[in-house]
Amino acid sequence: MAASAASRSTAPLSRELVARFQDIVGAENCIFEADQLVAYECDALPHLRCRPGLVVLPKSRDEVVQVVKLAYSAGLPIVPRGSGTGLSGGALPVEGCLLLGLSRMRRIIDIDLDNQRMRVEPGVVNLDISKRLAPDGYYYAPDPSSAQICSIGGNVAENSGGAHCLKYGFTTHHVLGAELVLADGSVVTLGGAVLDAPGYDLRGALVGSEGTLGVVTQVTLRICRFPETTRTLLATFPSTTEAGNAVSLIIASGILPAAIEMMDKMAIDAVRSVMGGAWPEVGAVLLMDVDGTLGEVEHTAERASELCLQAGAIELRRPTDAAERDAMWRGRKSAFTAMGRLSPNYIVQDGVIPRSQIARVLREISRLAEHWGVRVANVFHAGDGNLHPLVLYDASVPEEAERAERCSGEIVRLCVSSGGSITGEHGVGLDKAAYMGEMFSETDLETMNWLRCSFDPETRFNPGKVFPTPRLCGDRAGHYVPHPTEVSGQIGRG
Amino acid sequence: MNAISSSPPSSRASILGVPAAEAYEPASLDACAELFARAAERKLRLGIIGGGSALGVGNPPTGLDAVVFTRKLERVVEYAPEDQVIVVEAGLTLGRLQALARQNGQWLGVDAPHASSATLGGLVAVGGFGPRRARYGAIRDLLLGVTLVRTDGAVARGGGKVVKNVAGFDLPKVVAGSLGSLGLIAEVTLRLHPLPELSATFRTAGLDASGVVQAMLALRRAQLEPSSVVALRGANARFELGVRLEGFRQGVERDAPRLLELPELRGDSPPERLADEAAASFWQRSDTPRTNCSLRVRVNALPTQLPEVERWIEPLLAALEGGRFIWYATLGIGFVAGDPGAPHQVVAALNSARSAAAWAGGALLVDAAPSAVRAEFDAWGAPPNAFAVMRELKQRFDPEGRLNPGRFVGGL
Repeated sequence: MAASAASRSTAPLSRELVARFQDIVGAENCIFEADQLVAYECDALPHLRCRPGLVVLPKSRDEVVQVVKLAYSAGLPIVPRGSGTGLSGGALPVEGCLLLGLSRMRRIIDIDLDNQRMRVEPGVVNLDISKRLAPDGYYYAPDPSSAQICSIGGNVAENSGGAHCLKYGFTTHHVLGAELVLADGSVVTLGGAVLDAPGYDLRGALVGSEGTLGVVTQVTLRICRFPETTRTLLATFPSTTEAGNAVSLIIASGILPAAIEMMDKMAIDAVRSVMGGAWPEVGAVLLMDVDGTLGEVEHTAERASELCLQAGAIELRRPTDAAERDAMWRGRKSAFTAMGRLSPNYIVQDGVIPRSQIARVLREISRLAEHWGVRVANVFHAGDGNLHPLVLYDASVPEEAERAERCSGEIVRLCVSSGGSITGEHGVGLDKAAYMGEMFSETDLETMNWLRCSFDPETRFNPGKVFPTPRLCGDRAGHYVPHPTEVSGQIGRG
Repeated sequence: MNAISSSPPSSRASILGVPAAEAYEPASLDACAELFARAAERKLRLGIIGGGSALGVGNPPTGLDAVVFTRKLERVVEYAPEDQVIVVEAGLTLGRLQALARQNGQWLGVDAPHASSATLGGLVAVGGFGPRRARYGAIRDLLLGVTLVRTDGAVARGGGKVVKNVAGFDLPKVVAGSLGSLGLIAEVTLRLHPLPELSATFRTAGLDASGVVQAMLALRRAQLEPSSVVALRGANARFELGVRLEGFRQGVERDAPRLLELPELRGDSPPERLADEAAASFWQRSDTPRTNCSLRVRVNALPTQLPEVERWIEPLLAALEGGRFIWYATLGIGFVAGDPGAPHQVVAALNSARSAAAWAGGALLVDAAPSAVRAEFDAWGAPPNAFAVMRELKQRFDPEGRLNPGRFVGGL
């Protein structure tokens, strides 16, 4: 896979065309020199690289419209990009494309606390929303580990999750509406501040579409009131088997924790090497938040603790203050980066399994690791069965990368054969496109493509992503009878 | 093919007064696929009926050759209680699913009316929900996967069987609320939740519209997390407000006094906690504007817009016999019901309410209406902003326009 995207050279765009983009966004917001384009060759999946033809950084919806129209007439594929923190190559350029960076569109347009609504531009950083809302007692629920830098536009593209999605849902549950620029430059509004807009749920189609439908220029978010209280609990276990059983007992007891995260020994060791000695030397850790009203939480926190002990917990730790709680969560969220201490390279997987099968699947994964002669660390969202196996390797060792890749692929297949999914929150992008056929039939993929083609019939946006093999839209069959209101000019695209 | 009737069609083989000459009751996914493939060869226009409880939604189809009943698709395909996920065929009723889930201490967080007849497929097709949407979302939010029999008879699956999954385009979202216009929903995969240990209903009365809004905001400020907040408008233009707290017994019992002390919940008298029977009766009454009467419309707005919504619909309530109005206070969704005495007057009131709602960014949609009203009032109103994309979508899924033709938004 890596080879297919890497090291392609492309003919530079004509000076005239570049000048026309510069006219729209200003020369300083057009990047076309080869040495400067290097920074845009990949997202947070660095082993896949491809140089874009041009990077354009518009400041407004109107600039996006003009840029898209020009790219359309010039026949350039368009790849939208937020902060570039994606882990599946969703914002990886395609050869010679226009990379449309939305990081300059970072206005918070308005906040309606009483109705729990907020409108933002796509470049607004996820965590900045919650920071802005915190003084009023509100926050934005989806919390990917990259929340400090990832953008809302990117979250919409990937239907991002995060640790606290078990109780509060994913990006799709918190995006009520969006403004979208289509390939021909027309602007459509999907959903909105009011629930249940008539017609097909195109908002639902957009969230998670990985930049293949258009460019999002505005998002209407649902914002949440802080729960009255949150209790954090860190439980240590001899192994992931006991920790997995604890998760099952807690869920079966009727408790819906805001988050339950699991780390295995290798992941804990990595975190300890960065965060220090407060992290225990044990076989597995569960880090859990229960939240809600005080009355509810006093019960659920107590009950969850009992169940951890019943499942064989060695020790329970409850943070005494906010700083200690933050440190626990920082440890969890730094786990990926901490892996750098254990291994020069690693592959992250994002498969999902039914949570009742966690213990079995983890055993299978360690068997696979042994078979391929690589190490696999596990740090994941246990409550919803979203695994993040980190397959460690050293690219300087001959064939190790290949073995890691093979092991990683078998882990994905294991998730699918266990009744799960190839990706829970990172998206398919280019990285997992090859595995789509493991999960979906040709008919399923064809049907999904209909959805995509309804927005972008010429596949101008992010071509080559999501589907295992490139797909065009083809002509539509049949003929269309226009609605009377369309004939009379009352409606049209946009 | 399981034809259950040929000509003359039974009255039940019709949708909104549009009869079909043929009716089918496929009993398996394979039978559905075969039926749709044969219908494609014959270019039959198809209507789909689940429990028949939401047949008033949308406009009458422009014509039907056959109706497909899903009621024999009632198998539970897979249920893993430990994963809180269930896969069922589309014709299973909500009531039966809830009974099964209850045995495992679980439920589907969708308390839509007509539980004994409404089917899961039908609920997905109309984007169903009840008062508990305030906590669990609507069925679209709990729909993890869908199996769709396409117009060409091919079977397509979207989504998955796990609560977290972003692989591929979100077909379930697009199918939810599509009113049988994209394909036959044959199987659905749903996320279940644990049954709360205790449910407590609190009632207050004598609030005006802005008082209802203030009460909703006070509940939120107090960080109480009600699973339902519904206001019923009485004949005196005052609202009764029902608030439901659900969860572990200890939590509900400790939250109850805080709720009862909120000054914003004080109407004519302090709020009261209802005994189980009175609570059941309150929630049943709150469902009636969604189940009774020949005219039923819903108004979608913002939660704080209740005073405006009340103004928009006052002429409509006045024009209806036995007009009622209920409001899902945290969601901004209202339901108006009654029997139109003078249809012309009702249509005029509907038109003015709809334009006011649309002007304010909301919508007014028909859930049921007598034919005299339908003749003059479109169920959906003006096609939405992104209609061109919707039209493309319909065209790709149903290029010959054979599924529920003309029933959905903008004549799709």
